[in-house]
Amino acid sequence: MLLEVSTLTEIPGFESEQAAAHQSPWLNKPASSLLATARNCQQLAVHLNADSFHVFFLVSHGETCRLIPATDTDAPGITQISKDLTSRGSESFALAIDEATQPLWWSSDDRIRPLTEEARHWAFEISPPSGAPHGVAFPVGLEHGRSGAIVFAGDAITVDENRLCEAHARCFSLFENVALHRAPDYAKLPSLSKRELECLRLTADGLTSDDIASALGLSVHTANQYLTNSTHKLNAVNRIHAVAKALRCGLIG
Amino acid sequence: MLAIQTTLAAPLHAERSVTSRAQLARFLRGICLDIGADHYILVQPSVERGPKSVRIISSNWVFDALEDFGSEGIANLIESGNTTGVGERPQALTPETSPFLSTRERAGLVEHGHVELYCQKLSACGTMAFVLFSSHISGQIQPTALTLAHMKCCYGLAQFFKSNDNFAANDPLSERERECLLWVSEGKTTDEVALILGVSANTINSYIANAIQKFGANNRAMAIATAIRSGII
Repeated sequence: MLLEVSTLTEIPGFESEQAAAHQSPWLNKPASSLLATARNCQQLAVHLNADSFHVFFLVSHGETCRLIPATDTDAPGITQISKDLTSRGSESFALAIDEATQPLWWSSDDRIRPLTEEARHWAFEISPPSGAPHGVAFPVGLEHGRSGAIVFAGDAITVDENRLCEAHARCFSLFENVALHRAPDYAKLPSLSKRELECLRLTADGLTSDDIASALGLSVHTANQYLTNSTHKLNAVNRIHAVAKALRCGLIG
Repeated sequence: MLAIQTTLAAPLHAERSVTSRAQLARFLRGICLDIGADHYILVQPSVERGPKSVRIISSNWVFDALEDFGSEGIANLIESGNTTGVGERPQALTPETSPFLSTRERAGLVEHGHVELYCQKLSACGTMAFVLFSSHISGQIQPTALTLAHMKCCYGLAQFFKSNDNFAANDPLSERERECLLWVSEGKTTDEVALILGVSANTINSYIANAIQKFGANNRAMAIATAIRSGII
């Protein structure tokens, strides 16, 4: 039996979440789960009139970079479009996202324009990647080098200038939520003690072991021991590597 | 005919082609009107000039206000952590609730009519910048409009950086020096980097020494940290 709309709102959690989303479209608080974030992405997709959404992480190795699917419309599964966009043939798509700050759009039909004329002014047209004939991609770059993109696909997408900015800003907070749950490197952060973090932070500020020892009131050997421990915990080969790793995953600022 | 139609259809304060500094100023003035701000100042943290310094890209602050508040005051504000990233809820600052500013800096702000401030972090083309919007009465700037305007500032800045390389390149390092630092940050020793890049260890050491000097850093670890924090590697 189908539930009526009025009964839907009586289900615990449903109404409150809807109401919260209505009051503050700029959801800043971390979503409770990856699926909740996927639901928020789906809402945005509906808002833009898109058929599907696809969240990707961007991983670069020197000159080359590639996309890794994080979640999409079929969460917890993965759609064919996500697979196509991350396949070997789609490297130019990954490169375009890596270089972009502004949104990217494409269409394989001249009559279909996902963005209005004003919105197109802020976005770049790229050649359609395989798998998605029409779409818009919002590149997202967070601190500590975490970057990726949220792609919306579908032939009925309509986005004007304000909606483009609104959607892109929301993509940042949605992507951050996804990164919290999915990103392999950032999810399993080693737990460093307060002292170890302090020593790493001071090393990043250019202090030597001697300086750190006198700043924290420790002996030089203790300071060195803390740094050695943190190097092991971060799975780094030396002190500089440990500082770089800690900065990149946001353990120190 | 078509051109006239698009001009008519465009919203009131729209400068969408941002390639020169004059256009950037017009673009930011338009954004001020959209969100209800009186003043804006767009700055870049400056790596070369050392900590607590910024490079002003565009601003409609009066000269006296800038002199009283100083670029150190702006750097203090940015480094206080009260900045908003894209997609985050805008956060209003007032001179009274900014303990990280000196008494003189706070007095300077109030005197020149910067009673409520919003500091937004922008990122465009891999470079970081900050834009500070202020108004002379609190509550005049619309936070919802600001969230949209924040994104638009990133777009405008990206367009500006694309046609003005000297601004985008907030990167004092040469390609070789950057490459060396990147490998060192991955935990490679001097000898290993020399092997990877196919030059002698002495050359690698001199590249790194140059980078340390350009950053005004004390040692390798600090140079690596500066490079990561400013997004160079």
